[in-house]
Amino acid sequence: MSRLILYRLGYGLLTLFVVSLVVFLATQALPGDAARAILGRDATAERVALLRDQLNLDDPLAVQYGKWLAGLFTLDLGDSFANARPVSEYLGPRVTASFVLMGLAALIATPVSLLIGAYSALRRDRAADHATSAVSLVLAALPEFAVGILLILLLSTGWLHLLPPVFAGSAGAVLADPAQLILPVLTLVLAVSPPIIRMMRASMIEVLESEYVQQARLKGLPERVVVWRHAAPNAIGPVAQVIAVQLGWLAGGVVAIEFLFAFPGIGLALMDAITTRDIPVIQAVTLLIAVVYIVVNLLADVVGLAANPKVRVSAR
Amino acid sequence: MPPTPADSEHRVPPAAAAQTAPSRRSVLMAGAAGAVVVPALSACGGGGSSGAGSGRLRVGVAGGSAEDTLDAHKPTDNTDIARAHNLYAGLCYFETDYSIQMALAESIEPNEDATVWTIRLKPGLTFHDGSPVTADSVVFTLRRVTDPEILGIGAPQLATMDRDNIERVDDRTVRVPFAEPYVTLLDLLAEYSMGIVPEDYDPDNPVGAGPFRLVEFTPGQRSLFERFPGFWQEGHPRIEELEIINFPDETARVNALLGGQVDAISQLPPSQIEVVRANPNIETLESESGMWTPFTMRVDKAPFDDVRVRQAFRLIVDRRQMVDQALAGYGSVGNDIYGRFDPAYVEDELPDQRERDIAEAKRLLAEAGHGDGLEVQLVTGPITPGAVAAAQVFKEQARAAGVTVNLKQTNSTEYYGENYLQWTFAQDFWATRNYLSQAAQGSLPDAPFNETHWADEEWVEIVNEARRTVDEEERNRLIRRAMEIEHERGGYIIWGFVNTLDAFHRKVKGLEPSVTGHPLTSYGFHRVRIEE
Repeated sequence: MSRLILYRLGYGLLTLFVVSLVVFLATQALPGDAARAILGRDATAERVALLRDQLNLDDPLAVQYGKWLAGLFTLDLGDSFANARPVSEYLGPRVTASFVLMGLAALIATPVSLLIGAYSALRRDRAADHATSAVSLVLAALPEFAVGILLILLLSTGWLHLLPPVFAGSAGAVLADPAQLILPVLTLVLAVSPPIIRMMRASMIEVLESEYVQQARLKGLPERVVVWRHAAPNAIGPVAQVIAVQLGWLAGGVVAIEFLFAFPGIGLALMDAITTRDIPVIQAVTLLIAVVYIVVNLLADVVGLAANPKVRVSAR
Repeated sequence: MPPTPADSEHRVPPAAAAQTAPSRRSVLMAGAAGAVVVPALSACGGGGSSGAGSGRLRVGVAGGSAEDTLDAHKPTDNTDIARAHNLYAGLCYFETDYSIQMALAESIEPNEDATVWTIRLKPGLTFHDGSPVTADSVVFTLRRVTDPEILGIGAPQLATMDRDNIERVDDRTVRVPFAEPYVTLLDLLAEYSMGIVPEDYDPDNPVGAGPFRLVEFTPGQRSLFERFPGFWQEGHPRIEELEIINFPDETARVNALLGGQVDAISQLPPSQIEVVRANPNIETLESESGMWTPFTMRVDKAPFDDVRVRQAFRLIVDRRQMVDQALAGYGSVGNDIYGRFDPAYVEDELPDQRERDIAEAKRLLAEAGHGDGLEVQLVTGPITPGAVAAAQVFKEQARAAGVTVNLKQTNSTEYYGENYLQWTFAQDFWATRNYLSQAAQGSLPDAPFNETHWADEEWVEIVNEARRTVDEEERNRLIRRAMEIEHERGGYIIWGFVNTLDAFHRKVKGLEPSVTGHPLTSYGFHRVRIEE
């Protein structure tokens, strides 16, 4: 199995290389010159030339890419065009803030959706199951920011005034006022949960109908033990892939959510960087999102393998 | 919002009262009239004589990014400007009616031909760190603004200052020589980007003489300030702490106010005003301003090199409809003349309001050889609120005169990219400014932003003469003549002036309408008190 994992790891690194190339070329293709965007209406020819020189914008593309790639290996992401600080220093607190947000969403969404999915399977075709199906279908169809806007209207500004509708503070202290985290986390949870719930339900139904579960029941084991000891763990294997895809999505979906809630994480930093043509920051954030996506998928593969005895043995 | 450099000039314009009479929505405003002439200087001593403030004011300001700075002389976007207004104090400042009042200076006076200005400081002033504000600080500040390494926003207007020969007369007096007469120096010194700083100034640890001292600053996110007890205006500020939070997205900004996370927000989008008004705890503040968002016609390029075409285009515009549709009614009609709060702006002595006249427009176009119709491209983009809408409205209005307008949509970066100042027919936006300062920014041949390529010889001569004229009455007469010329043959279509809209919780007292064009009474949070 370790060979398989190594193979996937290599594959992940290759993907990352391709992503870095695409990200680099895409940022180069952004309309508008970075130096001009930074100077805005004050851009005189001399100032633009000076800034282009400072930013090494006149080097050939391959040289710029090579420098950037070399920097990545030493975790030197360059300096932000906008504020001249090292990108890593600038993004540091924002990365942490976003990870707090995504981490909380993942920690809540995963067990809760698994439980709801399993519960639906057990109550198959009863009212609770139908309700869950309907709600998860609707949520899956709604874009995440629409869910966020609805939540804000419902819980903050329109009907009830229970929770703060936006985040007002610095990235350095996202946990200082936890109430402000509730809505963004809830939005993310509602956005990632539906597919997990539906997959868990399907997988659980399949397992519950399998022979070994029948066997366990025939042995006279209590239903609780049958469901949670024998059925559920075996149902989770196939769901792992879906969970991974959803958690990977979190890394990208957080951009829209952070914008909506003015949450000072990488998403907001990315939006900001796009407006100011802060290319080093755009490159760093997009690459980071790609890394998260690839790592999460890699983990899912491993979990999938570990949960599937057949593969586990054959790959030994 | 990009830079809003230099501004304007002395005293309340006599016309201001009439010009800025209550706008049609004044009912919903806190203080009613568009521009209340506020006796701020006399009022400041009164009230809580102890001067002790209470509470923290949390303000949500539009804009802000990783580019945010605290540098006193280089503020660019809204949050920079908000911070500069509160962290620093200048020698003088613009009151809410656009008159210039003394701040750190006791007096600022020109010699006979305005080639040497003498600045005298008030006694006993201190900076945030307790050090005194002296003549040396003033000299240092003027040199810093014009330092080629730093190049403050005010530098272009100080180009004629003889920076090597600024003279420190005594501890409170400075003499500033200029290479040529300079009558609008006060306009520049009143700018928010001209804060006086001490000789050991370091923007990373900024010390000024403004109403608030810096406690904490995170670019693109928030900044926290505390009350500076040594502020020159007795009894101000009245609050203990000030927190400025950036909300680039307008929905988030409004939500923060409705959700009680901030007490006041700048630049309320007109689309949200109904939502905000439905909340009994929230008040809105509408201010008339001198901000304008013109169409710009290049006078040196066909078809606009023919004055009849320019006049026809100006006659095409239904200005009331433009204000109603592009600004949702929050603005007032313009008459192709800028500098509406200039002391020289006396309505009786200026050309009559230009109205829509399609027949005359058609006649002029036919005379110019476009009897069979004319097709032009109008470059637009989200450069300022309402710009794209205005372009669309113009496209519709032009149809009646047989003019086909093709819109070229750009984004801000493209708009202000390589072709900015080269577009033949486009748009732009300008803050409140007096006439001569505005001309120096955008209309004189050597102005940095002459987007219409205006270089009318007669006009240039008159403006240059006005710039040399110390006698105010004579100068105002010259300015009015210059205004007439631009009204007759200039390259701008100035269809309206924008009102600024802000909103705040009703416990926030002291904010009032201001024509300066900067939101929340020019971010004048030292005026604010909180009544729980």
